[in-house]
Amino acid sequence: MAKTYDYLFKLLLIGDSGVGKTCVLFRFSEDAFNTTFISTIGIDFKIRTIDLDGKKIKLQIWDTAGQERFRTITTAYYRGAMGIMLVYDITNEKSFENIKNWIRNIEENASADVEKMLLGNKCELEEKRQVSKERGEQLAIEYGIKFIETSAKASIRVEEAFFTLARDIKAKMEKKLEASNPPKGGHQLRASEPQRKPPSWLSRCTLL
Amino acid sequence: MPDCNKNFESEIKEGKNLRNVKCKYCSSLILTPSTGTFTSFEFNLPLMKQSKVNDSNPDTENVSLFWAVNEMYTFQNVGFSNTVGDNKYLTCADCEAGPIGFHDIPSKKSYVALSRVQHV
Ligand SMILES: Nc1nc2c(ncn2[C@@H]2O[C@H](COP(=O)(O)OP(=O)(O)O)[C@@H](O)[C@H]2O)c(=O)[nH]1
Ligand SMILES: [Mg+2]
Repeated sequence: MAKTYDYLFKLLLIGDSGVGKTCVLFRFSEDAFNTTFISTIGIDFKIRTIDLDGKKIKLQIWDTAGQERFRTITTAYYRGAMGIMLVYDITNEKSFENIKNWIRNIEENASADVEKMLLGNKCELEEKRQVSKERGEQLAIEYGIKFIETSAKASIRVEEAFFTLARDIKAKMEKKLEASNPPKGGHQLRASEPQRKPPSWLSRCTLL
Repeated sequence: MPDCNKNFESEIKEGKNLRNVKCKYCSSLILTPSTGTFTSFEFNLPLMKQSKVNDSNPDTENVSLFWAVNEMYTFQNVGFSNTVGDNKYLTCADCEAGPIGFHDIPSKKSYVALSRVQHV
């Protein structure tokens, strides 16, 4: 069967335990399915399809399976990763300080050109905030990566974050492709059936 | 028969799913038309709602109508659970409702239960 997408990106969520990585991966559900079989065994990864500038992109997004509780993530988890969401909790100073350690862990284990992005999650909890937005921005500038504050609970900018990361990976890949084979005119990777409709999570986003 | 979807035959066109396959609870798009192949066999699928939490013997039901998907990237949006035996269970990628089906690791095929999704 012909390939039905243009790009496949493997993305990871990294950060301290409790910052909301699993909730960012799934839509925040207030214990709606808490007594199910699935929440007992846990999620390994998720496949998402998005449309970026007419290209169909498959995102394979991995959850850490709680490895982060031991403050290390193994090399195996990072294998093949093209993008990493570094997540901290804006109401938890320690989780922000630990971002530096996570970046070191990434540098030691992941491919050197992995695209990174910083997420300050739980941003709807303004009254409990311990980390100012400015500090988040400053840290991102220090590492030369993008920054966004999100709330998995209030569905604020979560989709935007994944789109931004995916767009940056795509731009980087296209640049590399161009460098390795200069355009001979009309050369393109094409999907068999491009789809113009926005994916469901996008349409829901616009309802909010 | 738990998954005797009344008109399941009308959902099949040339052996494939005629319409979009979506989550019953949140309408997240799982498969676009003609991407799943109708297959019938018996499988004991754990129930979406369990009577007990953390039980090693989950309540199951016998399910027999599936959309078979050969390659996992054919899915529009779907979640894969951690491994249990030779399987991973499939969930909605948005609301985590599941299992909506299962993935067979040796054959790399995935099966979506007709009775656990909606066709629209
Ligand atoms: N207020 C608020 N709570 C959140 C948010 N995201 C996650 N949480 C809560 O934070 C806790 C940890 O979330 P979880 O996703 O399990 O964190 P993980 O350990 O990083 O995977 C849970 O109780 C969530 O309900 C958010 O955006 N706002
Ligand atoms: Mg988690």
